[in-house]
Amino acid sequence: MSAIGIPSASAARDRRQPGWRAWALLAPMVLWLALFVIIPGLILIVYSFCERDEVGGVIFAFNADNYRRVFEPVYLRIFARSIGYAGLTTAICVVLGYPVACYIARAGEQLRNRLLLLVMVPFWTSFLIRTYAWMTILKQEGLLNGLLQAAGAGFGPLNLLYTPTAVVIGLVYAYLPFMILPVYGSAEKLDNSLIEAAHDLGAGPVRAFSAVIVPLTLPGIAAGTLLVFVPAIGMFAITDLMGGARVPMIGNVIQNQFLQARDWPFGAALGVVFMLMFALTYALLQRRHASPA
Amino acid sequence: MRSLKSIVLALAALGAAVLAPAAEVNLFGWSEYIPQEVLDGFTRETGIKVNFETYASNEELLSKLVAAGGSYDLIQPSEYAAELLIRRGLLAPLDRAKLTNLKNIGAEFRRLPHDPADRFTVPYMTGTVGIVVNTEKVAGPIRGYRDVFQTKFKDRLVVLNDNREIVTWALYSAGLPVNDINPAALAKVRPEIARWVRLVKVFDSDSPKTALLNGDVDIGIVWSGEAALLWNENRKFKYVLPAEGAHRFIDILAIPAGAAHQAGAHALINYILRPEVSKIVSDKFPYTNPNLAARQLLSPAQLANPASYPAAPGRLETFRDIGKAAADIDRLMTDLKSAQ
Repeated sequence: MSAIGIPSASAARDRRQPGWRAWALLAPMVLWLALFVIIPGLILIVYSFCERDEVGGVIFAFNADNYRRVFEPVYLRIFARSIGYAGLTTAICVVLGYPVACYIARAGEQLRNRLLLLVMVPFWTSFLIRTYAWMTILKQEGLLNGLLQAAGAGFGPLNLLYTPTAVVIGLVYAYLPFMILPVYGSAEKLDNSLIEAAHDLGAGPVRAFSAVIVPLTLPGIAAGTLLVFVPAIGMFAITDLMGGARVPMIGNVIQNQFLQARDWPFGAALGVVFMLMFALTYALLQRRHASPA
Repeated sequence: MRSLKSIVLALAALGAAVLAPAAEVNLFGWSEYIPQEVLDGFTRETGIKVNFETYASNEELLSKLVAAGGSYDLIQPSEYAAELLIRRGLLAPLDRAKLTNLKNIGAEFRRLPHDPADRFTVPYMTGTVGIVVNTEKVAGPIRGYRDVFQTKFKDRLVVLNDNREIVTWALYSAGLPVNDINPAALAKVRPEIARWVRLVKVFDSDSPKTALLNGDVDIGIVWSGEAALLWNENRKFKYVLPAEGAHRFIDILAIPAGAAHQAGAHALINYILRPEVSKIVSDKFPYTNPNLAARQLLSPAQLANPASYPAAPGRLETFRDIGKAAADIDRLMTDLKSAQ
């Protein structure tokens, strides 16, 4: 987890207590975190124990009803489905992104810079515009079906848009760079002599890959997994636009509490459970990485 | 001395410009509903600056209004949200003497249940929620909700992604009152909605016309303005008001209680009520214009658009505020959608 994680205990012991200079350097980030993470988080926690009023305001009457509701089967099912979609997205991103990242890391400098640029080029366009572009490609009378027809494919127009397949395509497309970049980061640092040593000691390509390359790039995979999995769970724009909003994801349910149902406290409770889930995921990944292989 | 005096004067003028109540109006309205041209015209004529902020749902308006009370001068709630705001004392009564153009609004759109004495609200635009049929793909008559939600139309439907609307259609087709939402009524329509949800291909409130235009679906239940745009695009898209009854929504102009710039807000309302200004709104957003003087300025083609100006409207009802039942509706719909 070193790519994004906290320094391990032994490393921390080596360092002196941070002086005022360190705090001054950290101040903007600490301030940012306090203002936009800690305080809103606390507000969320307080709201989650409140009741809603008629207009959609919040009444401060302490009770845990909202949490009881979160664990009703409906919402658990939605949580499970969201995790399923995010998990599938992450898995596909690893499979697609890992070879790309390794290739880029081992390419010559000029080619590498160009390839990295290509990975980042999509961010130059607004996310929503890119999603609408995918809709244009996948729709019934769209680019893909047009090409298939022109190529004389024997089957009728593919029905892709507004299906779960479209949602997964959208999610993988949106988050693939977040897998490629961290994996590239750790693959680039990979010492070639270690792979040579593996070969010298009689490991075939498969063994060298599984026993040397994968463990050494694991921090990158873990970081990428976190960067893909976490936002993919909460994503609601893609499920609405490309999935036709037929099957609610947890992001949609939370959004609805604030924008349609006028039930902020319940939305807040869902948000808190959501945060705890992420914290748990992070802790698990952290522990797995920390425990010696 | 002279130069000192001029500096003092300049500073005084600057101070006055900064400190004096600036000529401005803070408008909080729907996105994609008020043409920028209208606001620019108002500023050009009166010198009053319009600060325009937008929202995408009545619920968003309500919560922001409650949270940031006093910072908006003119808002645009729909009828049921306005009713709630009136009941909670959150709207300022209008000064009719300043609204000389109010006479342009048709009688049909005045003294409605949400504001029986017309004390707080002025209609901006109105519309209905009805059925659009792609007549090239769908044969046979479609008259009401029951005709839309047939098994043979599975995966050929787009409907608004709006839980209250969907529940309302089910209540209409069950012959139940649509403004009395209670657990018994919801339980009664539940199986029917469960069946409907499985037939729908797309839920979209923002731009339901897209799926129809793209050919991904053939029938929709959408806002009449969307249907009007579809009809303008291609005459194959026919608009039908459901026989069982339909929601007529009225989007309103109103001034929040405690608004700082009430005079400016009145001036803007009166400006929008002018026939030639209201016509600009109709040109851009072809909903039903309640301003009869503005309607006279519309082209025959605009008036002939069956979605904007349906020939035989039949039974239309506005929404009343349903209070906490909004959460029950959300729960029901979430449950049914995720059960698929």
